[in-house]
Amino acid sequence: MKKGFALVLICLLLLTACSSNSGSKNTSNSAADTGKTENTAATEPAQAKEITIWAWDPAFNIAALEVAKAEYAKTNPDVKINIVEYAQADIIQKLNTGLNSGTTKGLPNIVLIEDYRSQSFLQSYKDSFYDLSSSIKGADFADYKSGPTSLDGKQYGVPFDSGVTGLYVRTDYLEQAGYKLADLQDIDWKQYIEIGKAVKEKTGKALITLDPNDLGLIRVMIQSAGEWYLKEDGKTPNLAGNAPLKEAFEIYKELTESNVAKVHADWSQFVAALNSGDVASVPTGNWITPSITAEASQSGKWGIAPLPKLTANKSVHASNLGGSSWYVMNVDGKETAADFMAKTFGSNVEMYQKLLTDIGVIGTFKAAAGGEAYSQANEFFSGQKIVSDFAAWTEQIPSVNYGINTYAIEDILIVEMQNYLNGKDIDSVLSDAQAQAESQIK
Amino acid sequence: MHQTNSKLRFRTKSVLTGWSFVLLAVILIFVFYFYPMLQALILSFQTGTGSNLTFTGFDNYSRLLSDKTFIVSVKNTFIYLLVQVPLMIILALFISVLLNDSKLRFKGFFRTAIFLPCVTSLVAYSVVFKYLFSGNGLVNTMLLKLHLVSAPIEWITDPFWAKITIILAITWRWTGYNMIFYLSALQNIDHSIYEAAKIDGASSSRQFFGITVPLLKPIILFTSITSTIGTLQLFDEVMNITKGGPGNATQTISQYIYNLSFKYAADFGYAATVSYSIVIMIALLSVIQFKVAGDKNG
Repeated sequence: MKKGFALVLICLLLLTACSSNSGSKNTSNSAADTGKTENTAATEPAQAKEITIWAWDPAFNIAALEVAKAEYAKTNPDVKINIVEYAQADIIQKLNTGLNSGTTKGLPNIVLIEDYRSQSFLQSYKDSFYDLSSSIKGADFADYKSGPTSLDGKQYGVPFDSGVTGLYVRTDYLEQAGYKLADLQDIDWKQYIEIGKAVKEKTGKALITLDPNDLGLIRVMIQSAGEWYLKEDGKTPNLAGNAPLKEAFEIYKELTESNVAKVHADWSQFVAALNSGDVASVPTGNWITPSITAEASQSGKWGIAPLPKLTANKSVHASNLGGSSWYVMNVDGKETAADFMAKTFGSNVEMYQKLLTDIGVIGTFKAAAGGEAYSQANEFFSGQKIVSDFAAWTEQIPSVNYGINTYAIEDILIVEMQNYLNGKDIDSVLSDAQAQAESQIK
Repeated sequence: MHQTNSKLRFRTKSVLTGWSFVLLAVILIFVFYFYPMLQALILSFQTGTGSNLTFTGFDNYSRLLSDKTFIVSVKNTFIYLLVQVPLMIILALFISVLLNDSKLRFKGFFRTAIFLPCVTSLVAYSVVFKYLFSGNGLVNTMLLKLHLVSAPIEWITDPFWAKITIILAITWRWTGYNMIFYLSALQNIDHSIYEAAKIDGASSSRQFFGITVPLLKPIILFTSITSTIGTLQLFDEVMNITKGGPGNATQTISQYIYNLSFKYAADFGYAATVSYSIVIMIALLSVIQFKVAGDKNG
């Protein structure tokens, strides 16, 4: 009796084990089937649909999605939109493992991808993203966004937030050192360091805070001169003989050696340095604005100057740091997802005004910059019209090809930067990095 | 005739019953362990980003040898291994002998206190350590207030101190775990052996090296092998405390695998090759440990 019962139990377990296996096969087959029927049904009017969107940062990207969802619901009440929040690192892992597993089950319809990484996804999983060329126009968005969001002439991404940079400065510290915001409108990085020395001398505050594990500042500098870690093809490492990169390295070293830089190790320490008043300036993307204004007691003490530029090169006072775009996955429901994107982030000027006033998102949709919200003065920044400044700088950002290996090369450079700071010669630093990058990137 | 027949039937029946008991476990192990291992081995001979994989033979393995980042990661991992594992094992042994003292009061409290780190989540304790050891964290504040140092130590941003921080963190987390093994083994040692040694006039250090250590040998071997494997797979602490930095001064092999798969353009083929290098290293090290310490006990 007992034995028989055990046998039944074992059989049951085995059966369930097997059936779950074949079950997943069935569903993936049926997913493929519906994918086929989807194609034929595409010409018919849209039926009740459900789409899923993955993004990170509830205060920014998710909040923007909620606005878009509400907008879309006005015209398409039958579409159910699920917004799922994951950390960015989790999204990357889930996408990579999901796309590699060969089954599209569990993948979202729309996903947010950082611009530095987008090409690596588009090129690594060619047929997994849906061509949006018929839904949106790449030319409607800031020019520098076209590199990361398109491939082989096809528009895959809907450009979202601008990572346009500015130099956030504490005007009160500047004044103590004898400078005004107006003095910072057209400076290069060398002059920036000189100002920093004066600030340090008068106020005892550091000019800038740096993370030795993050070369964001270097990326900002070289993009302002229209260069990148990679050549225009997005594949050949461009380190040795890259003049802007060399100058950026030299400025970085000068920053650390002239005793005007503090060190932080993560994001919370970074924001703490700003909010506590320990640093006099921060050259970074406009997405830092909410973190700075969060410290209400510093209202009226901050201003935003154009980014300093490099000296010897065709560098401009504008660059980009971070920023991301929306991608529609080539799975069941792609038409609905593309329609959602086209009607919201792809065309809705009104919505962009709302995104800006409610959340602080500066989009890259060109037409939106003419809206009312973009020309408003910001009380926290002593009445400066910061958004129209940022919008103007966005148009000047040089377009570069981020390629697929930005982070792989950056990790090589982080190590070489340490060697450089410890006294290694700059030319051998860059040529060593070049050799390493060439052997590592295939 | 009839008797042998029934005997045979009984034998086959019992064999079948035996197999039916292990069958489930065997199938599960094959499906969830050996099959993925085989797939990973096949994957390790392929290169390409994402799903564009092509077979490239032993290219990945020769790439390993010239890959500076990989070599640095191996070096770092072995520094952790050579410093941290002996340190932790000696510490665990020492503490367990102290706690096994029959005259000690509040034994339960001390045992719990030392074992407690092991029940904390790896990520949670790593984050706590990151804050304790940050530039203006508790440790630096304490050292400064006690005038032991004149400037804050860069626990996380200096290549040397960052390694120390990682070693301190792992030691804190895992010493109690190893101690439990020693404690249970110590309780199996007959008290009369120690009494006899005492009567013969052996000092307590002589007792420790002459009785305790030899009798604990199999356990020491076991803990050193599991700790070695654990250290070779070190990931959470480094990922959360230093992110492998500064530069790649604290990067481990596991973290490099993660970076290859998820931080850079996903190259799962090469990542699989790097993971197989860990398998080879663990196998080699375990053989050496058996040879050195194992004798017949192993």
